[in-house]
Parts: sequence; structure tokens; C-alpha cells
Amino acid sequence: MSEAAAREFSVIGKSVPKIDARDKVTGRAKYTGDLKVTGMLIGKILRSPHAHARILSIDTSKAEKLPGVEVVITAKDVPSTFYGISPARYDETILAIEKVLQVGDKVAAVAALDEETAVKALSLIDVEYEVLPAVLDPLRAMDEDQPQIHPQYERNISVEIHQNFGDVEKAFQQSHLVRTDRFQGNRATHVPMEPHAAISKWENGKLTIWSSTQSPHYFQYHISRVFGLKMGDVRVIKPFVGGGFGGKLEPSAAEYVGAALAMKTGRPVKIVFDRREVFFHNRGRHAQTIELTTGVTKEGKILGVYGNYIIDGGSYTSLGIASAYYAGAMLPLIYEFDHFKFDCFRVHTNLPSCAAQRGHGVPQPRFAFESQLDMIAKELGMDPIEIRKVNARRPDTMTLNDLKVNSCEFTACLDKARKISGWVGKKGKLPPGQGIGIGCGGFITGAGYPIYRTRLPHAAAVVKVSEQGDIATLYIGAVDIGQGSDTILAQMAAEAIGINYEDMRIVSADTETTPHDFGAYASRQTLMSGHAVKQAGEEVRRQIIELAAELLEANVADLDIDRRVVFVKGSPEKMMPFETVANEFFIRKGPLMGRGSYTPPKLGGKFKGAAVGTSPAYSFAAQISQVEVDEETGQVMVTNVWDVHDCGTVINPDLLHAQVEGALFMGMGEAMYEEVVFDDKGKPLNANLGEYRVPTALDVPQVISELVDSYEPAGPWGVKEVGEGATLPTMGCYANAIYDAIGVRIYDLPLTPEKVWKAIQGKKKQS
Amino acid sequence: MATAIKKGKLHVATLTVNDEEHAALVKANTTLLDLLREEFDYTGTKKGCELGDCGACTVLMDGKPVNSCLVLAVEASGHSITTIEGVEQSGKLDRLQEEFINQAAVQCGYCSPGMILSGKALLMRNPHPTEREVREAIGGNLCRCTGYVRIVKAILAAAEANS
Amino acid sequence: MIIPEFEYVSPKSLPEACALLVQHGDSAKVLAGGSDLLVKMKDGLMKPAYLISLKNLDGLKAIRYQIGTGVIIGARATHNEVMNNSILQGKYRSVCEAAHSMAADQIRNIGTVGGNLVNAVPSADMPPILIALDAQARIVGTSRERTIPLEDFFFGPGKTVLENGEILAEIIIPDQPTTGSNYIKFGLRRAGALAVAGVASSVTVSDGACRDVRIVLGAVAPTPMRARQAENILRGKKISQELIDEAGRVAGAESKPISDLRGSIEYRRNLVNVLTRRSLKSAIEKGHV
Repeated sequence: MSEAAAREFSVIGKSVPKIDARDKVTGRAKYTGDLKVTGMLIGKILRSPHAHARILSIDTSKAEKLPGVEVVITAKDVPSTFYGISPARYDETILAIEKVLQVGDKVAAVAALDEETAVKALSLIDVEYEVLPAVLDPLRAMDEDQPQIHPQYERNISVEIHQNFGDVEKAFQQSHLVRTDRFQGNRATHVPMEPHAAISKWENGKLTIWSSTQSPHYFQYHISRVFGLKMGDVRVIKPFVGGGFGGKLEPSAAEYVGAALAMKTGRPVKIVFDRREVFFHNRGRHAQTIELTTGVTKEGKILGVYGNYIIDGGSYTSLGIASAYYAGAMLPLIYEFDHFKFDCFRVHTNLPSCAAQRGHGVPQPRFAFESQLDMIAKELGMDPIEIRKVNARRPDTMTLNDLKVNSCEFTACLDKARKISGWVGKKGKLPPGQGIGIGCGGFITGAGYPIYRTRLPHAAAVVKVSEQGDIATLYIGAVDIGQGSDTILAQMAAEAIGINYEDMRIVSADTETTPHDFGAYASRQTLMSGHAVKQAGEEVRRQIIELAAELLEANVADLDIDRRVVFVKGSPEKMMPFETVANEFFIRKGPLMGRGSYTPPKLGGKFKGAAVGTSPAYSFAAQISQVEVDEETGQVMVTNVWDVHDCGTVINPDLLHAQVEGALFMGMGEAMYEEVVFDDKGKPLNANLGEYRVPTALDVPQVISELVDSYEPAGPWGVKEVGEGATLPTMGCYANAIYDAIGVRIYDLPLTPEKVWKAIQGKKKQS
Repeated sequence: MATAIKKGKLHVATLTVNDEEHAALVKANTTLLDLLREEFDYTGTKKGCELGDCGACTVLMDGKPVNSCLVLAVEASGHSITTIEGVEQSGKLDRLQEEFINQAAVQCGYCSPGMILSGKALLMRNPHPTEREVREAIGGNLCRCTGYVRIVKAILAAAEANS
Repeated sequence: MIIPEFEYVSPKSLPEACALLVQHGDSAKVLAGGSDLLVKMKDGLMKPAYLISLKNLDGLKAIRYQIGTGVIIGARATHNEVMNNSILQGKYRSVCEAAHSMAADQIRNIGTVGGNLVNAVPSADMPPILIALDAQARIVGTSRERTIPLEDFFFGPGKTVLENGEILAEIIIPDQPTTGSNYIKFGLRRAGALAVAGVASSVTVSDGACRDVRIVLGAVAPTPMRARQAENILRGKKISQELIDEAGRVAGAESKPISDLRGSIEYRRNLVNVLTRRSLKSAIEKGHV
């Protein structure tokens, strides 16, 4: 909504300070690794040095005898239940049973009195492996001569998708111009600053786990299933979380192995991954090989698109099944066209498992599409922004794959981005070696369907007002992983009730005390958890107004609440403080509480995979970057980035822009700096933060983040997502800017100085 | 129930932490990071990579930022250490901490202690830094959430307050 | 992560430290800053049974100027101490700039110049500029002291000429007629990055002619290497852009890089070419050393 409209609200639309900021800047905030529980043991995991090997024998006797070691476990000591995300792809176990499928796979574990003893014990475990040939190249994984990694996936095919909408062949025949280009994405990973960590406690038949988690609910669901416990006997508590980005959406060995060790010893067990283990666990970005064919009319209107992909899934399927569908599902979102074919193979390799990372499968296809659209524009003699305007999605339309778009201000984003970047004065007019380019994206605001089949609402909330009426506590299962959901949900609760932000307290998240929520992923919480919170707040408001009507002898319809005052509209002198009414409510009726829950409407088409990509709402963004290339070294300096977002109503402007800044920073890292690389035996060469290069404060451009006016009817107060949307345009944006600067196209990520230099050399040779 | 007993040769490490005298018996291979977190319960200092690449473990040693994961406790003995817990004074936040809050420079917060200490050390030796100098001062502190935008703003805002 | 156990000794004098090194031989390592050693130990690449800490040897920290000798940098000086030192800022500012280009603030407050030299990583940032300035290494052992050109200090990746019981005590930059010097490093991000290639040069220019020149390449050979053929292009000649360009080309050709995860042979040769050219130009035009 517009700024003017936002002014009519008391709490939302304001950049209030984060509710947890003080704890974080003083060091008081406790993350899982900071917690200590009486009697706690330290757990450590023995990991495979081989990418693919059969486990012939494990001798733990020496390790068991080391003083200070409480227990050593292998697969025989833990449930052999297979787990994963989709039941059809449950392919992982707590500890490897017959084979290890990647360097870093989990083989055995130790619980000891201290870390040093646990690490020593690991070195005393003797494992006999039969090393097997490994599958390391995703493009060859399906070949006949390749070893099969999982017994149930023939030719190492994890997921195979064939979708066909309309008639692409006919569309291409009717096109004035058809281009086919091949792009190669990079294997990247989340790098949350806080490594995975969990403390597991087994007491009286009940498991309690403190975990650095993005979803206590999903953790509770999976862990109870694997250990054969009822969900009520598994309590997952979320302390402060130091970043997730998709990598902490499912339990890792920190929880599974930790729980197993806790059960075996009867003592709490803490497992904290070291940075290498975070790389081994991974669940990060799939490297996608994309062959994209697009046909357009003479005016640049897209008629049809064919995407043919092979994506590297790594060892276990995990959330990767959804990633493969997302890679195609979002392609028809931001530009309108009617004919689309999508063939995708997600394959297994003996490398760390890939799953969901910010943007979930969509950034690399966007890189391909945005790059190709620029190439098409050039062939047609069209400006890159013009061709995008010709095709831009409009509001209240349906995509060809049955995704329902309500609000959409994509064209306004393009116009504004063009204006604030000075595009017209710069495009084609910058000195040699300098360039300007555009990339666009759009993303879901929460997934239409949960990760496992269930009829549970997607979010729920409870608000309890204190007996004195002076504060209110919001209980939610939604998870703040740094994006600020605690803050904005507290703002929403205060707004809905009619009290101040400072009066709010928040409890989040504990499966035993806070109501169900699916957690922080797919950019769902502002809309979905927000709906539940708004509903809960409004129920409190209704009860207060009812009682106040009695106390003030007024009509319910004439009453309102704002900033802790209940008053008669039009006669504000007829008023009562909120606390007074709330206190009176408690005296007469007991606890004053409000409840809310939210389930999205039934969305999506009927074809296979139709559920993926569905969402109550979609965000849109246009990003423009300006670059300077040192042609002699290939070094690219991104000097400025302008991002214009359509994300609906803004609850907290500072936090929103902070999300844009962070999201495009991650996009930048993947676009230019980051790649996980391995040796020819499948061992990671850069499983550390020295050689896996996350950009530093000296590497980042000046960022200008702006919004367009937008209101989303499906969102509480008109909200939409922003946390992932700004990662999507970046890779294409930079590739296009670099092309503008040096006249050469680079088709594979990351856009390193060496690649840019080689491209320049190649161009020189041709001319 | 048995709890950890230190085996092997122990050294006495005496250091001032946040203006308070501390002493501990430590093994030679104990890092300053582990001494602070496990012995003295200063869990505000974070473990991010343990190899000196991320800066989450930054503390000030005699006023200078160091990676506590790469300093042995025995080497730190005799020195004065400031952790994030020592930045606020008698419950009053340092201006820099206030600006981190005001400028929305804190997202997940895991890098924040290290960032604040690097920023504080900078402002102590250079009260009016340029933007470039701020970025250099935090060049060894990785952040995955913010893109550094508001962190730089916060440090510059705190410097403004110095004038 | 755990640092493997070791015996920790902190001798009170240099002779005591040398004696301990002789006593324990290969099972002992010197602990200066620790920013390299402790990382290697955590990664399981080194497991010394003894660490001989230099923490009490305050004499090794000083940076001073001695008439007749030159600037003397104690091996225990940290990179930030080098960077901020007023004597070096005045006489050899490019040494300060080289120290500044390393890693990040936190590492520069721990890591020492001596450590950077003794670890002898091919991509180390201090050796090239120091060698370009004809630096000498003073080495102290139990029975003798010796001062050798720093250029002769390295003989392979991770390998120096230090014999058992010897400690690098000081680096001496002798007084010299050099009119300008410069170190340029190319890394894959602007902090916390090893050099993909690094070039240091020092020149003595008078009347538009290059009386003397030293060009030292880092990260493109098993040790820091003098680009002698490139030097010969310039030495004794009138300076021109063509000659500088030629020197760059020759330096690139004579470098001996390998391909690794940071860069290919071809790309590194190109970097040497470009950086040599830029380093020379800067050294010539700078007007200070």
C-alpha cells in the first residue's frame, strides 16, 4: 500500500526497533551452542573420507575404552528408519548402514564428557571400507557405465519431470526469432554464520530438543516418525537462530544422532557442527545445467519457452524433490506466455546433498532466462527494459501452469528501476569497460501446500493479554531466523488488538507451548503467520469492545481501540484505558485470549507437480546494476545496484529494505564469488570460509532499495514476501551488465574474473 | 555423574576480561574462545568457523581485534580482553550498540558481537572514519544476512555522535 | 574443532628458545602469532608435540632504525604493527601497504612478519616486497648467528633454510638508493583473500633512466621469485612505456605458476604481466619507496 495509506495505521508501517535487537547487541541472546544443560555430554560424528564406499566393518572397541567416553554408536544401535522429505524419497538413515554416499557421510558417533575426548574417540574407531567408483559429474550420472548410488533410483535419477503446456513446437514455428542457449549454474551453499546445533534430552520417555531450526514443527514431525514416538512426546524448542536460508528446514545429524546418543546414555547430548560439517550436510543450491529455448514475435512478445534441465542433487534427495519442480514452475510467472515445455532430471551424485536455498531452485533458471531475454532484445534491436515491459505479468491473471496472481506491479517496478538508475542516460553511453544491466524476478509468498501431506492449517497463533491488561503475549510457532518475523508479527498483533508495540511480548517457538506453524521457509510467515496473528488479535479486540460497550454504555459498532485507548468514535472523551477493560474482563470471565489460524485457499491445477509454485500471492522485482570491468584482469566491480520491489504492504520499512539488501547480497555472492569445488575423488577442496568466498564488506556495491505501491488482497493488510525475491534477479542482472560493459556473454556461474578475462580474450581472437 | 576432568599438564591463565580479573587452569591446547565461552560463560563471543576466516569470535585483546579461535588461552594470559558483554557499561548501552539497533543492522545477530567489537576498536583509534575505513575495519567479519549495508551505517552513525 | 595436544613452553630468552628447538628437534614448532600454525594443527596437517612460544621475547618485537644497518623489523612484529609503524611509513611505505593488503584486521593483529616468512606459503604477501628491497634475514641458532639475503631464505613451498635450532630473529632492510617501490596483489575478494598473483618492484630512477630494478613475483612459483629476465629489460635503460610493457610480458613468461582452485596457469601468467606493468609504473611515478 502507499505510504499515505500506511500512515493511517498505528503500529504497522513503522520502522520500530527489532524486538530482539537489544539481546543480540549485548551478547545476551543465547543460540543453541551457547546453552548448557546439567549433565550434558558432547556428541561428535565420525564421517566418511570416501565419496562412495561399502562399509565392511566398524570396530569401536578402542574408542569405547577411552576414559570419558560414555557411548559409541553405529547403525546397528539406532533405528534404521529411512527418512527424507517426500515418502517416495525416504533414502537417508541416521547413520550409514551399508554404504556411504558422500565424503562426510555419517558413519558412527560418540558421546563423551568433553569435546576433546569425543574427537579423540572418533580417531580410535576403525572402519573398513571397500571404496567404490564415485559419480561426480551430474551430466554423466545417468550414463549406462556409471555406478548406481541408491538401489531404488535407476540410472541415478532422483526426480524426472516432463511438463507440457500448450504447444511449444507450434509456438516456435510461429515465432519471428527462436534462440536456444545453454547455461551452467554453480553449486553454492547457505553459509549461515551459526553452524547447525542441537541439544537432545531423553527423560521419562520424552525427547526434548533445543535446535537451531527453521521449523520446530517439521523437526518434531520427522524426528517422532523416525524414532517411533508420538509427536506429543517430542518437544522441539527454538532458541535464537543464527541464519538458516533453507539449510535448517529439516533435521540434520545434529538432531538425529544427538537424539540417538541421548537415548542411549540417558544424558543430554549437545552436537554442534564445525564449519566443515556444515559443508558436508549442505542441502544447498543445486548446480543446474539449463538449455533454454525461447521464441518471440517481431515485437518481442514471448510465444513459447522450452526448458531442458539436468540438476545435481548430490547424495540424498531431501527437499531436492521440490527444488526440481520449482526450477520450472516459476519460469512462467513474471512474463506472460501460453506455451511452455519443461523437462528436468534431478540426478544423484556422490557429493553433498542439495536441497532448498534462498529462492529454492529458481535463481539459476532466472539467470538463464534474463540473460537470454537480453540476447533476444539485442537481436531485435530492442531496449532490455522495453522487451520486459512487452511481456510483463499483469495483475489478476493466471499463469499457464495455473498459478493465480492477484496483485502484480511488475511494470511499475520496471518503470521505477529505469528512472532511479538513470538507465536512459547510461545504456549504451557509458565509457568502455563500464556497463549497466537489468535482471528481474518474482517469487511465492508461502507455498500453497505444506512439505508433507496434511490438513493442518499452515499457521496458528494465540494472544494472551495479561491479567492487569498492561501487556499482551503472542505465542507463535513462526520462527525468526534473523529476518525479523518476531518483530513484525508483534507489530501485527499490536495493530490488530489496538495496543502499542512496546506492550507486546512474544514467545516463539516451542512445540509444547506455541501453536503450530510450518516455520520459516518459502517466504511464508509475513502473510501466513500474519493472517493467524491478525485473527488472534482481532478476537481480543472483539472481546474488549464487547465488554467496553457494556462499561461505557455504548454500542459495539461505535467503539474502537487505538494505542491502548478504547473510545467511542466521534466522542473520544467517552473512553476507557485498554488495561481497565482487560483487567475487568479477567475478573469477570477469566483469561483474555485470542486465537487465529490460517490455511491458504485450494490452489493450483491438476497436472503432476501442480502444487509446486502455488501460493496465495507473488512478489515481483526489477534490479539494475552498474559495473566497471578491469579488462586486463577481468575483475568486475559492481558499483551500484538499484532494486525495486513489489511486495505489497510494508509492515516494517527498515526490516524490509534490510531483507532486500541481504537477499541481493546472497545473489551477488552466488553470481560472482561462490562455488563449492571438489577433487577428483569427491573430496571438497574448499569446505571452509577462506576458500569458499562469501563477499566481505569491501566487496559490496552501493545498494538503493525502493518499492512500488502495491496491495495484495490475499495478505493481511495487503502484505507479500520479500526475503527471497531479491536473490532471484541478481545473477542475470550482473551477467547482463557485464555483457553491456565488455560485449561478451558469460553463460556459467560464478562470473569470476578469470572467466570474464577469458571471455574478453575470446572476443579479441575473433576480431 | 562424572563430568569432564582436565587431564594432562595444566597452565594457569590469568587475564582481565571486561575489567574483571579472571583465572583458570587450562590445557595448553585450549583456545581463548573456548576459555571465554566454556569456563567464564561469556557466550556472547561466537564460534563460526574456528579457523580465523569469519570473525564471529572477535574479541579485543589490549584494545585490538583478534580472532579468539586462533589465540591460545595461555598466550592470552597477562592480557586484557574485552568481549561483547563488556561493551555496555552499568547496563547502559554503548552508542555503537544503540546505532546497531536504530539502523536495523542486526538480523540473525550471530555476527553482531564481532562486528560491534571491530567497530568499537575502530572508533577508539579513529573517531571519524571514512566509509572505506569502516569497511576495512569489518573486512574480517563475515555477515550473511545484511549485505553489510546497515552495519556500515550504524558504525558511521556512532562516529557522527562523536563529533 | 580441537587443537591436538602438545607441551607448551615459553622460554625467557632467545638462546633458551633455540636450545629447546635443538632438544626436541622435529617434534617442536615455534609459536609466534599462531594464525597459520594453529589453523594447520586444527586441520590435522601438523601435530607437533611441543610448541615453543616466543611470547616472552619482547626484544623480537621492535621495529627500529640503526644507522649503518638500516631498518630492522623484529620477527615478532605483527602485520598491523608493521602497517602502522612510523619509521616504515616514512622510509618504506610499500612495506606497510603490503602488510595492509593481507587477510583482515583481526589476523593482522595476531600474525607476525616472521611467521609469514617462515611459513613460506608461495602466496605470502610480505616476501615479494621485502626481497624487492634487498632485505636480509638475521637467523639465530644455538652456536651461531647468520644473516642471509631474504631471497635465499626459501627453497620450496613451506620450506626455508632454517636448520634445527634456528629462529628467524630480524628482517633488515638496508639503506639503499631506491627511489620507488610497490607491491600489488590480486585476490578474489577485497579482504581475506590469498594472492592469486602478487608482484613487487623496486626501482632506482635518475634522469629518466632506470639505474636498477628488482621485480619479485609471488604466488606463481614454488617460492617468491625474482623476475630476472624482466629486470634485464629495464635495467640501465631509459624508461618508456614500451619497455615497461615488455618487462610485463617477459615477467609473465618467466613465471612458473600452477593451476589450482584460485586460478589457471594461463590466467596467472596474464596477471603477472598486468601486475608487473602496473607495479613498475607505480614504483617509477610514486616518488617514494
